[in-house]
Amino acid sequence: MSGLAAFAYETRWLGLRTLRRFIRVPANPVSTLLFPLIQLFVFSQLFKDIVTLPDFGGGGSYLAYLAPGQIAFTVFFAVAWVGGNLLVDLRSGYLDKLRVAPINRYAILAGEIVPLFVESVVMGGAILVLSVLMGATVATGLPGAALILGLGGLFGVVWSGTSFLPALLTKNEQATGTLAMLFMPLAFMSTAFVPATLMPDWLQFLNAWNPISHLIEAMRALMVSGYDWGLIGKAVASLTILGLVLHGATFWAFRRLAA
Amino acid sequence: MQPDVRAVIEVADLVKVYAGGTRALDGITFGVEAGEFFGFLGPNGAGKTTTIRILSTLLRQTSGTAHVAGLDVEHDAAAIRRRVGFATQQVAVENLATGRENLELIGRLHRVPGPELRRRTDELLALMGLAEVAGKLAGTYSGGMRRRLDLASALVHRPEVLFLDEPTEGLDPQSRTALWEELVRIRDAGTTMFLTTHYMEEADRLCGRLAIIDGGRIAVTGTPAELKRSIGSDTVALALQADGPGALARAQDEVGRLLDGFAPLGGLERTAFGVSLAVSDAHAAVPDLLRRLDGNGLVVSGLTMSQPTLDDVFLQYTGRHIRDEGADRPLELGWY
Repeated sequence: MSGLAAFAYETRWLGLRTLRRFIRVPANPVSTLLFPLIQLFVFSQLFKDIVTLPDFGGGGSYLAYLAPGQIAFTVFFAVAWVGGNLLVDLRSGYLDKLRVAPINRYAILAGEIVPLFVESVVMGGAILVLSVLMGATVATGLPGAALILGLGGLFGVVWSGTSFLPALLTKNEQATGTLAMLFMPLAFMSTAFVPATLMPDWLQFLNAWNPISHLIEAMRALMVSGYDWGLIGKAVASLTILGLVLHGATFWAFRRLAA
Repeated sequence: MQPDVRAVIEVADLVKVYAGGTRALDGITFGVEAGEFFGFLGPNGAGKTTTIRILSTLLRQTSGTAHVAGLDVEHDAAAIRRRVGFATQQVAVENLATGRENLELIGRLHRVPGPELRRRTDELLALMGLAEVAGKLAGTYSGGMRRRLDLASALVHRPEVLFLDEPTEGLDPQSRTALWEELVRIRDAGTTMFLTTHYMEEADRLCGRLAIIDGGRIAVTGTPAELKRSIGSDTVALALQADGPGALARAQDEVGRLLDGFAPLGGLERTAFGVSLAVSDAHAAVPDLLRRLDGNGLVVSGLTMSQPTLDDVFLQYTGRHIRDEGADRPLELGWY
């Protein structure tokens, strides 16, 4: 087995363990979906007429406008505390058990990160399906919906670095969600709820660099208008750069700890 | 000092100094032969866990050499990992996986082929008495069952050497005894065992040979019997039946006369009930001793034998009782 094939084999089996751990605790999907679902339900009713504002950018359904942001929220909740799983393995001795196995030690980390794409897609998909059941439509149909969820999955993998990094640096469970919580201010100042045209100039300036806005706008285009490859490309580039920074640091921290 | 060249584990002048300056190992040398059950007996902080972590490739030494199965722990770590099993001090099982899933995952990481893995998993679950709960989540198991599952996962790839770091820590006496029986069975199947413990009874019952370690140094190495003999004789206490004034003193004199010239005898002391005899090997000496006393009007109404304990050995070689150790020091975990 070549080095890459061996790495993929080890990541696969360790990844299945990660997925099993997520699925077998019913509180995981429930807590992931609850807050975004409440926001989707309440805000879509409370602010449904906001689309009639002159600067909103052309009417339509506020539910469809809101849904992409809630997919991002869902993905955030799915990955915000995942660094804690590594700490559980560290404290229980399971990490030692894996480190004594004849495997690439980075496969241990990859086995934690890669399944987050699947978890994010499934959880984001649940919100998308519920949005559709509540009356939203996806302008690009099933292929567009798959692309929306693919972007959500990519975001989940990228944002997990904000949990793994402090977990590995501090070895403190309480620290695992601290950096991830940066999502909240970024999301609330993003275009998740209102378009940039309704924001003050300084917020519009910040949003030009806000990866959460890039992600949501790409997903929203797929949801309400059509394929905007410029926006999709911008979101992918933005997330890739963020991912390289976060996971570069995560791999460095993991190497210090266990590789 | 040169290590034993026939050993499966060979350690020479091993030193470990942690980043904070703690000298956990101060130049230890020892060897373990194939099929041997070897143990490190010492208090917390003695250097037991540091040694086992170096040998199982989890930690890098500061200086000295260590070989496992003929491979250098520093340069051949990957090859060593294919040939050893390691049961950590904590019980390292996946709570949200079933017993069977726990074993299968570790087996797959060790590249045990599918059909062989199924056979091996069934075999180990049966060996550890977990076959009936194989489909239940490990998180629902008792402490003893979890430890046995942990042990099984360390054996799934049939390792040549099994490292056990305080394997019965935290277990109730019944589970501890059951686990000892499992460990003996594993040793009987040909696996070389390296155990660390601070339980004297555990070291005594399991280890064919052991090293007393304290303060990062090996104080003495030998079989439990050798170590106990090295510090003194066994004791045989005889209660003598004596009716009437002066009868006990006469009986004691008679014992002294009858045992005059009895080779194993190292000394005789009078006691309130009879005599206390110091002999080199009580089990071997007692039949002959009783024959010598028989038929001379003496009535031996009671007999007890006692040997020096490993605690006595520990005291002799380190100057303190193993139980005198202070509160557990936090474990210093090194990584590389």
